[in-house]
Amino acid sequence: MELFANLWAWFSGLFVITPAWMTLGAWVAVGLTIFIFSFLYKDNPFFKIAEHLYLGAGMGWWFQVYLYSIFIPKVWDPLMAHQWGVIIPAVLGISLVTQFIPRISWMSRYGFTFMMGYGAGLAVPAGLSTDFIAQIGGTIEPLSRMASMTPFAIFNSLLVAFGVICVLFYFFFSVEHKGAVKKVSSIGIYFLMIYFGAAFGNTVMARFSLLYGRFDELYTYSGSNYFYATQVILISMVLYFVVHALANKGKKGTSEEAA
Amino acid sequence: MKFIKKQIPLMIVMVVGLLTLASYYVPNKHSVDYIELLSKWENIVMAFAFLLGLISLFYSHYNKISRKTDGWGYSLFVYIGFLGMVVPAMMNGGRQMVDGRLTMLGWSFNYIYNALSATMFAVLAFYIVSTAYRSFRIKSKQAFVLFLAAFVLILGKVPLGQIIWDFLLGWTHATVSEVIEWIMSVPAVAGKRGIMIGISIGAIVTSLKIIFGIERQYMGKD
Repeated sequence: MELFANLWAWFSGLFVITPAWMTLGAWVAVGLTIFIFSFLYKDNPFFKIAEHLYLGAGMGWWFQVYLYSIFIPKVWDPLMAHQWGVIIPAVLGISLVTQFIPRISWMSRYGFTFMMGYGAGLAVPAGLSTDFIAQIGGTIEPLSRMASMTPFAIFNSLLVAFGVICVLFYFFFSVEHKGAVKKVSSIGIYFLMIYFGAAFGNTVMARFSLLYGRFDELYTYSGSNYFYATQVILISMVLYFVVHALANKGKKGTSEEAA
Repeated sequence: MKFIKKQIPLMIVMVVGLLTLASYYVPNKHSVDYIELLSKWENIVMAFAFLLGLISLFYSHYNKISRKTDGWGYSLFVYIGFLGMVVPAMMNGGRQMVDGRLTMLGWSFNYIYNALSATMFAVLAFYIVSTAYRSFRIKSKQAFVLFLAAFVLILGKVPLGQIIWDFLLGWTHATVSEVIEWIMSVPAVAGKRGIMIGISIGAIVTSLKIIFGIERQYMGKD
């Protein structure tokens, strides 16, 4: 027993984060970052490795999140404390896994219907209060305070109300879009386009901000304290692509001739 | 058998759906307790649903490896990545920091998962630029409005864009940030509200169809 405890202590000691681990982390992060960026040149084995690793790591991350925030505190601990009520959702949950056994896969309906029922029951009041009523209220409410508003604020409130009505006309298919209805709905398209454009602009900027973050990290890890991780891995990747291209040059020519 | 296979599941969806719906509008201790209990149960069932996905993924990659299909070697990295997160989590009880020190899980998160995740989304920046080129080819007045809104938003969020704006349109005494704020809070809001109202009506109708058993695609075939 003592031997086992000593072995475990030694094993755990290996994984105490030291400066050496931080340097190794920098190399791993730079490697994975460049592997993924290499896809911009062309599909390659390094990208595929990083892609599959991401899939596994993502699932691993969420598995440990569910394990330590749900399975242990909300299922295992209550069962150990003889709180048997938790068996009901656990059985419903386990029923989902019967999907893999075709003969009894119908059992998974119990779990799915529970989720669908709860989700649908919650979606009605949530949709009504936060999306439907709140949005209509937000459009109408400023119009009731016009007396205390500046002319520009009044113009904005009226523009929002006008825009919402036009957009709703665009989505209203119970009447044919011709004449006045067509004109109003085509104005609605402009409001939609402004929203889509703004949403697109925001998405672009969010992606670029992530890109700056990656470049910043690559720059940080290019220092001598990280043994020039960025430069070494980048040059290695470039060399790989050059060697690969040279090695395949003859093959490509031969295959083209054969074709 | 039909009763067990079909009717009971439909009863579950109706009872759970109606009780959840009613609980929202009935201000009572029992309804609050019911919602809290069901929320806890939903979390548990969702966790098992995640397991369903995980097992499915593992099974699919196990098949690739066992059948030695093209690129089967890459499938090994799915398991390596999974263990690279789960083993450290087991060692540290799912904590990223202990006494202000980074744990092995924190290390794996920072240097493996975070690096991969951030880069994967950052790569999309390049593709979004090429998409922008295609979508911003001005073919109509509507496309021009889309382009203008996106262009002003992108321009206003970089220092160079602000300098250009001040140089060209400084005489208007409106800064680019003010223009962005106006776009986001007036015309964009009008468009967004119209969409949200439409989505909410669709969601409510679909939910009611599910509760009353009219929509039952999710049950699959017999």
